[in-house]
Parts: sequence; structure tokens; C-alpha cells
Amino acid sequence: MSVRPISLDQLPAGLVWRGARFAAPPPSGRPSGFAALDAVLPGGGWPRGALIELLCEQPGIGELSLLLPQMRQVAAPRWLAWVAPPWTPYAPALAQAGVPLERLLWVAPERPREIRWATRQALLSGSCALVLTWQSELDMAALRRLQLAAEQGATPLFLFRRRRAALQPSPAALRLQLDVGDDGELSVRVLKRRGPLLAAPLRLALPDRGRPGNTRFEAATAAPRRHRTRARFRPGLSAEAQVALQHAVAGPDPAPARPAGIPARIDG
Amino acid sequence: MDRHPRAVVVAANRSALTEGVFPGQALAGALAMVPALHVAEHDPAQGCALLEEVACWAGRFTPTVSIDPPDCVLLEVAPSLRLFGGLEALEDRVRHGLDELGLAHRCGWAPTPLAARWLSRAGKARPVVDIRRLGPPLDALPLAALADGSGVDDGVLALLHSIGCHKLAEVSALPRDALARRHGACVGDALDRAYGRRPDPRPVHAPPQRYRARLPLPVASDRHDILLFLLRRLLIGLGGWLAARHAGVDRLQIVLEHEGRRPETTLDVLSGAPCRDERRLLLLIREHLERLTIGAEVDALRLEAAAPVPLPALPGDFFDDHQSVRENAELLLARLRARLGPDAVRRLRTRSDHRPEHAGAQGTSDALPALSPGARPLWLLPRPEPLDPSRLELLDGPERIESGWWDEREVCRDYYLARNRGGSLLWVYRELQAPRGWYLHGYFG
Repeated sequence: MSVRPISLDQLPAGLVWRGARFAAPPPSGRPSGFAALDAVLPGGGWPRGALIELLCEQPGIGELSLLLPQMRQVAAPRWLAWVAPPWTPYAPALAQAGVPLERLLWVAPERPREIRWATRQALLSGSCALVLTWQSELDMAALRRLQLAAEQGATPLFLFRRRRAALQPSPAALRLQLDVGDDGELSVRVLKRRGPLLAAPLRLALPDRGRPGNTRFEAATAAPRRHRTRARFRPGLSAEAQVALQHAVAGPDPAPARPAGIPARIDG
Repeated sequence: MDRHPRAVVVAANRSALTEGVFPGQALAGALAMVPALHVAEHDPAQGCALLEEVACWAGRFTPTVSIDPPDCVLLEVAPSLRLFGGLEALEDRVRHGLDELGLAHRCGWAPTPLAARWLSRAGKARPVVDIRRLGPPLDALPLAALADGSGVDDGVLALLHSIGCHKLAEVSALPRDALARRHGACVGDALDRAYGRRPDPRPVHAPPQRYRARLPLPVASDRHDILLFLLRRLLIGLGGWLAARHAGVDRLQIVLEHEGRRPETTLDVLSGAPCRDERRLLLLIREHLERLTIGAEVDALRLEAAAPVPLPALPGDFFDDHQSVRENAELLLARLRARLGPDAVRRLRTRSDHRPEHAGAQGTSDALPALSPGARPLWLLPRPEPLDPSRLELLDGPERIESGWWDEREVCRDYYLARNRGGSLLWVYRELQAPRGWYLHGYFG
């Protein structure tokens, strides 16, 4: 008697659960604006009321551009709160990217205690569409308080930390490590999610970054673009037109690399 | 403490009453019975101020409020019943509100003011709505009720008692003109007003134009929780006064009076947007108090509200959810400013200036569109940092910016988009003037 081997995929749905899949459909998330990222996030997007840690060692790799699609959607009367950013959020660039400046609240407390307080208040008030904060030195209790506040206020909190914080356990619903890939694209490694572990990092082409990285510019031969106050300057596209253009350029994302056979681990 | 030698007990709380103390008793006698009795001086002015406060607060239920001294506030609620969803719902609100003010109270509901007063005093909780049904409950009241707030004096009561009247029904049955000849018209007049046979107009309480309230502390204290508890009481009164005027305040002052001749401590509370919700105001005051170190114990609290600003009448409207988010958003802004200081909470806008450090500004006024045709970084360094160009790969540029000759802060720079060894995208520039140094001015986050 011959037995014809069949693959697991051919079995009726529900008979076999495989480790690389989510055990139960997680609550729906907020689409991140990047199909490749949505595919690996539980719920198909950013969690709605949770602490999300973004570990990133150096600025300027597209860490803010990753959140621009979220920031664009902020509408009155909700705030977009930036608590203790390390540098000045630059208004012309944000306006160019379509972020509603009038909803941006830049909170700059001096002491760490006040930073934590302001973050929690922003979360608990329920009037912020999202809260961004930059704090590396946080102990477990402080992280847990932030996570609870995010849940209670149903507001996502994006916490930017240095990469060494990855060694510290965290109650965050999602931990992503951000790096630069070889080709200049943003590489996203999912360190923790509420679902099975993901081994391979993700590559994201960020449409909002200044310029595609591979066009090398010959500085010596090109005539400089001039912006002189009395001289004529080239009128650029309006901010909306540029945003639309950037969206048009951003093509469909490649399918996520999802290796089979990774042992499952359920976090949280 | 010196006391009047023939001081009498005016009122006593429940535990004192169970010990045998009763109103009208000589104080010496009461102290002899209960040596541990806690005695406070009766201050009629304070009682009046309290009635005034309750009358202001009651303005949220009806515009027709009158004070009936020494211990009663009358509300004409018939026109408000529909708004508040019936008598029971309104009664719940009134009782709940008085509990929140921390006042022991009795409520009575009747078609005439005097009947309402007598019935509430007698503890008849069942409201009488129809004036034709007013007779039986009033008839059943004891004779003593007649003297309450009606101008009938004790001598008349004693006489009525001596001729065998124990209930109001029996007084009503007496021949009216004979009674009037002996005691003036006061008895018949009071009965007519109570039974609704004669009109009983009352002066309508006119709330003050500016709200001020003062609350002395029973015991001087500098503890925040105690102060907040008492402030809440002041704010509830303010809330009622504001609700009656369909208004809110965006600024109020809390004054902490200290013992002796110490100067007062004043807190200026700004709420950002007009508001009359005591919880929101209390949250704001808490932030102010936490920043404050109170030097001395507080003796009394005073609240002075700024001129009221119009605000829609009812808090709950069709778009309630949206409204509450809006209020929370304003509250968050006000609280952050109160705790962290106004400089720590910033807003952004763009300005029409080619110089990068002037094109972004703090503030909220409507701005002209930014003049930034080239790519701009999301992060700008507050102060450009010198850097070594040999470690950079220039990707785009230069973009020449020469501007600002008019205000002594001229810039002449060539800006480049650059990538460093770590892969970060930087916004760097080279000074066009000697020594032609390279600087880092932003990150493309």
C-alpha cells in the first residue's frame, strides 16, 4: 500500500497549528503605512494602546520617517505629543512631510522625573493620537507604569531608546531594533512581539527620506542651487504636491521574509 | 476661651444628641453632661454665607432660587423638571450635590414654599406635586411646625396648645376671625400660604456678578490633601454659579490666608479654555499646589473667579465624545504648562525665511508657507556642530543659502545631504566665508 506524502499546507485549516503563525487573531492594529511591516506586526499594524520600544543607536537613519504615516493622520482636537526630543523638531521639514504642525505639542521638561510624569499625563488624558518620547534610562517599574498608562489611555507610546536597552527585559508590547541596511534602507528587527518570534530583519524603503541613497552626487561639477533673498529662486512644489509625489514613487513593498520552522514563543 | 455665661446649644450633631445634649440647653449643662463635648462658636454670619453659597450652587437647577433664613434655600423647580428628567432624577442630583458639598440636609417638595419647608422639617420624604393633594400631609403635621419660618411666635403656639390643638388640622378648623382677633392675622395667614390659598411670593436670590467664596479651615493646616479637599468644596459652589449663568472661567485665583500677620499666598490658575468642571479645575490647582512650598499653616481659603465667559449650557451634547476629547486636550495643555512652566511646552510653526534656523519657530500664530524647496531634515540641531568632512559621503547638494544681511545674522552657506560611516543621513553645510569650516546642522530622522 503506497502512501502519498502531502504537505501540511494541504490539510484542512485548523487541524494543525504551526509555530510561525499567530495562535489567535490579535486585536487589530493601526496600519503602519508599510505593507511589509504590517505583515509582521500582530494585528496588521501598530498596537493601539501599548508601549512600543524603538531601539536605535544613531539618529538620521529614518527612525522618524517610520512614524510619519501615523503623524500625518493626527487631526484636531487630538495632540501629537513629543516628550523630551533630543534635538529641535524642524518645523519646515515636518510641514513638508504633511505633519499637522498645529497639533504638535513639544514638551521639554528638564528633569527625568518630569519627563516620565509628562509622558504619563499625555497618555492618560486620552487626547493624544500618539506620544513619542526619548528616554533611555528607565527601570522596569517605570516601563510598566508607561505600559499601563498607554493601555489605560488607549494611546500608543513610541519610546526611543539606545540599543543597549535591548538587554533589559521590558513589558513593551512590541520592541523593534532599527539599523541601517547595506543599501541605506532602514532595517527593522522585531525583538519582541505578541506572537511567534521572527528571525530575519525587515528592509523598509522609506519614501519620506530626503533622497534615494544610491544616486551619488558630484558636488564639484554641479552648479549650486541658490536661495538668495533678492535673487530669484526656483519655486519648488507645494508641500502637498511633494507628499503626493513621494507617495506615488513608493512602490509596493516586497513580501516579508518569513522562514518556516522557527520555534514558537509567545510573549506577553 | 471666654464664653457668654448663659450660652446655649444651638445645634448638636448626632453623637452629641445621643449623649443627651439638645438644642436650647444651657452650654454649662451640656458640658456637665458630656465633658468631652467639642464646642464651636455659632456664627450667624457664617450661616448666612453658607446659605448664600448653597443658593449660588443651586442656580444650576433653576433660575428662581430664594434664601429663607436662617436655614433654608428654596428652589422653584417646576419649570426645570423636564430638563432634568423628572422629580426623582432632580432630587437625586440635588441630594448628591449637597452630599458633595459636605452638608447635612433635608429636602422636601411641595407646591408652596411654606409647605415644602414644613414637610422637609417633619421628614416627609414623599414629594407632593398636586396642590389639591397638599391638604392631608399638612393636616397631619404637629402643631410645632406652624412656628417654623412663618412669623408665628411661641406665645401663640403655647395658647393653641393650651386650647387642645396638637395637629395643624385642628388649628385649621378653628374659627378664623376669632383667632385673628386674639393673635393678629399671623396664624391664618401662615396657614393660607402653606395650603396655597394665598400667594406667597419670595424675593429671588440674585447671584453676585463676580464669584468670591471664603472657607475658614476648622484647624489650620498646610497639608495638600486637606487643602485640596476644601478647595473642591469651593469649586463645586463655583461650578453651580457658572452653570446658572451658562458660563465658564478661564482664570481664577486661590488665596491661602495664613495665621497671624503673614502675607497671603496667591495662586493664579489659568485653564486655557473656559471651563466650569470642578474636577478639571481641581486637577489644575493640584499641579500649582505641588510646585508651591507653603511656608506657614493655612487658616482660610479664598477663591476669586475672573469674569465669566459664555459656555454652552449643558455639558453633554450630541457630539459628547468629541467634546470630551477636546476638553481633555485643552486640560492636558493647561496642566503641562502649570507643572512644567510655560517655556517647557512648545508649539511649532514655520516662517518664511531662507535661513534654516529661522524657518522653524515656536509659536502658534498662522504662518506663511515655508520657503524650503530643498529637502529638509526632521531634526535640526539647536547649534550647528563642527565636523570632519573626510568621513562623509556627499549625496546631494550644494544648496546655497545666502540670506539675513539685514539683521546682523547673515548666513552664507552651501548645504549638502551627506551620509556618514554609520549610514546616517546628515544635513551638513560649509561656510562660504573663511575659514570655510564644515558643520553638522541636522539629521534626516
